Amino acid sequence: MTIIWSGMAIGAVYALVAIGYNIVFLSQKTFNFAQASLMMLGAFITYLGIVVLGLHWWLVGIGAAIIIGAIAALEERIAIRPVKDMHNLLVTTLGASIILQGVAQLIWGGEPYRVPFFAGDGVVEVLGGNVYPVEIALVLVVILLVVALTQFAKHSLVGIALMGMSENREAAQLRGVDVRRFAFLAFAFTGVLAGAMGLFVGPKTYAVATLGASLALKGFVVLAIGGFGSLSGTLAGGLIVGLAEALASRYIGADFANLSVFIILVVILMAKPTGLFTRRKERTV
Amino acid sequence: MALTGCAGSTSSAAGENNPDGPLKVIVLGGIGAEGVLANNAATSVTAAQASVAAVNADGGILGKQIEIEVIDDRADPTVAVTKLREKLSAGNKPVAVMNSGPSTVAEAILPILTQNKILSFNIGPTATSADPGVSPYNFDLSPSVQDYIDGFVPQIKDQKHQNVAVLHGSSATGELFGKLTESTFAASGLTVSGNQGYDNASLDMTPQLERLKSGNPDVLVLDSYGAPLAYVLQGIEKLGWDIPVIGNNSVAATSLIATEPPTGVLGTSQVENLTMQVFQSTKYDPKNEKLNAAVKLMAETGTIGSSLILAYNYDSMWLLKAAAESANSLDAESLSAALVDNKVQEAANTQMIPKYSFAKDAHAPHMAPEHFVFISPSKLVNGQFQ
Repeated sequence: MTIIWSGMAIGAVYALVAIGYNIVFLSQKTFNFAQASLMMLGAFITYLGIVVLGLHWWLVGIGAAIIIGAIAALEERIAIRPVKDMHNLLVTTLGASIILQGVAQLIWGGEPYRVPFFAGDGVVEVLGGNVYPVEIALVLVVILLVVALTQFAKHSLVGIALMGMSENREAAQLRGVDVRRFAFLAFAFTGVLAGAMGLFVGPKTYAVATLGASLALKGFVVLAIGGFGSLSGTLAGGLIVGLAEALASRYIGADFANLSVFIILVVILMAKPTGLFTRRKERTV
Repeated sequence: MALTGCAGSTSSAAGENNPDGPLKVIVLGGIGAEGVLANNAATSVTAAQASVAAVNADGGILGKQIEIEVIDDRADPTVAVTKLREKLSAGNKPVAVMNSGPSTVAEAILPILTQNKILSFNIGPTATSADPGVSPYNFDLSPSVQDYIDGFVPQIKDQKHQNVAVLHGSSATGELFGKLTESTFAASGLTVSGNQGYDNASLDMTPQLERLKSGNPDVLVLDSYGAPLAYVLQGIEKLGWDIPVIGNNSVAATSLIATEPPTGVLGTSQVENLTMQVFQSTKYDPKNEKLNAAVKLMAETGTIGSSLILAYNYDSMWLLKAAAESANSLDAESLSAALVDNKVQEAANTQMIPKYSFAKDAHAPHMAPEHFVFISPSKLVNGQFQ
C-alpha cells in the first residue's frame, strides 16, 4: 500500500500541472509550457515564506498565489498576447519556462531546499501503507480542485463563458464575451493556482530549480491520457501515470518506469485518440 | 598569416619570453555558470589562488614568482576554447593550465593544450584525458570511480556486512557506479542482493527502495546527488527501513545533508543511519596543521563554495613546483616526466590527496582505500565536515 500511496501522490502532482495546462488550453487553445516552472517557483516562494521569513503557512499560500499569479499575468502579456500566430506560442511559452528556470538557478542554485508541511512531516500509517501527511493532502486537494473547477465551469457565468470560448471563440465573442479579458484571467489564475499549490507540492518534491523540467513532460502525458480540455480526465491521467511509474519501478525495474507510462499512453491513444474523457466531435462537411 | 598561425603552437613557456617576469598559470573555471557548477568553480579557483600565495611565500618556482590568471569559461566549452585561444595567440604562453571542470570543457581544451605543449591539471576527467598517448601533458586530479568503489569494500567488511544493496542514479557516472559496484563487490566476496538505478528526473524513490528492501540486505550503498538524494532519504524514512546507508562522494557533496532543519535534514532521523565516503582532507582534523593552514589560507583568499573535494588545485601548484625543481625546467615534456616520479609526488607534499600516484601509462591519481574515511553528516565549514 505504501507504493500505491507514493504513486497516487506523484500522480496528484502531475495532475496539478495538467490542470494548469487544461485551463490555458480551454481559454486560449494553446499550451503554457511554463506551467510546471510556475509550480517550481511556487515551491520556492513557499520555502522563502515559511523557512526564511518564518511566516504563517496560510499567509505564505496567499502571498505565493499573488506573486506567481502576477508572474503568470506578466507571461501572458509578454509571451502570449503579442504573438499573432498561435503555433509560435509553443516557442514563446517554452522560452518563458527556460527564463523562469534560469532565474531560479541564479537565485537558489541547483540544491534542493526542504519545505515543511503545515500539518506535520512525520510518517503516518493509512490503510496499511506508510505515507507522509502531505501525500494524502495532495490527493485530496487535487480531487477537490477538479470537483470545484468542474462545478464552477458548469454553473457560474464566468465558467460557462470560458467553456463557450473553448468551443467557439468567435461565437462567444459575438455573444458579448470579452474573450481576451477572460483568456488573460484564466492564464493568471493558473499562476495563482501554481503559487497556492506550493504549500503542497514543495513539501513533497522540495524546492529545487530542476522541478519544472521533471514535471513538464509528465503533465502532458497526463493531459493526453485524460483528454485535452477534460478536468476529470486529469484525475484519471494522474492516477494512471503515477501508479504505472510506481508499480513498474517496484515490480519490473526502474528502467521500465517511463517505458510503461508511454506504452500505456500509446495504447490509450490508439484505442481512444481524444483521450479517456474527451468525446470525439462530429463535423458537418 | 603563416607566422601568425605558427605563433600559437611554437611560443615558448612563460618565463622564457620574459626571463625576469613571473610565471603565468591560467585557471579555467565556470564562475559565471549556474548553480552547483559555480560553487565548484569558486572553490577550485580559490584553491589555486591560495596555493599561489603559499608557493610564492615558499620562494616561488625555480626562484620565480607565480602569477595566476583566471578565465571565467561559464562551464561552457565554446567560451573556454575562445578565451584560451585568445590568451595563447597573444603570445604569452602559460607554464600550466588548470581546468576546474566540467569534463566537457576538458574535452574541448585538451587538444589545444597538447598542440601547444602546455602542462595541464584537470578536475573533469574525460575518457582519454589520463591517457598519455592522447594527452601527454595532462594530469587528471580526480580519482577514478573504481578507486572510490574499492574504498567501500574494507568499510563494508569492517562493519561485518555481507549482503549489499546498491542504488545509483542514471547519469553516466551513476551508471558506471552501479556497474562497477556489482563486479567489485562480487569479486571481494560480498553478495549484491539488489542493484537498482533511478531516473535523475524521478520525484519519488520509494518503489526502488522497497524493491531493494525485499532482498533483505545488510547495508545500502548509495550514489545520489541533489534532489534525488532528498527523495531517497524520504523513501527510506517512509518505508521505516532501519538500514545502514553508505553514500559516495556525491552524497557528501549535497548541501542538504550538511544543513540543519528547516532548510536541510542534518540531525534528523533521515540521516541517522547515513555515513559518507570522503577524502581524509574533507574531514576536519585539528592535528593536521599543514592542511588546516592551507584551509585557513583558502578561506582568507576567497570563497569555498563546496566541500574540499573540489580544492585539488591547491595541490596542483605544489605538484608543479616539485616537478619544475626536480626537472630544473619549465618545459612541458620535462615536467610531465618528473610528475610520474614517485619522489617528486612525495616532495610536493600535497594536502587534499596525500599522494597522487601518477604513472607513466596513466596520468590519473590512484587512491588507496586507506585514503578515504567514512563519516556521519555534519556541518560543513570552509569545505570540511566538522
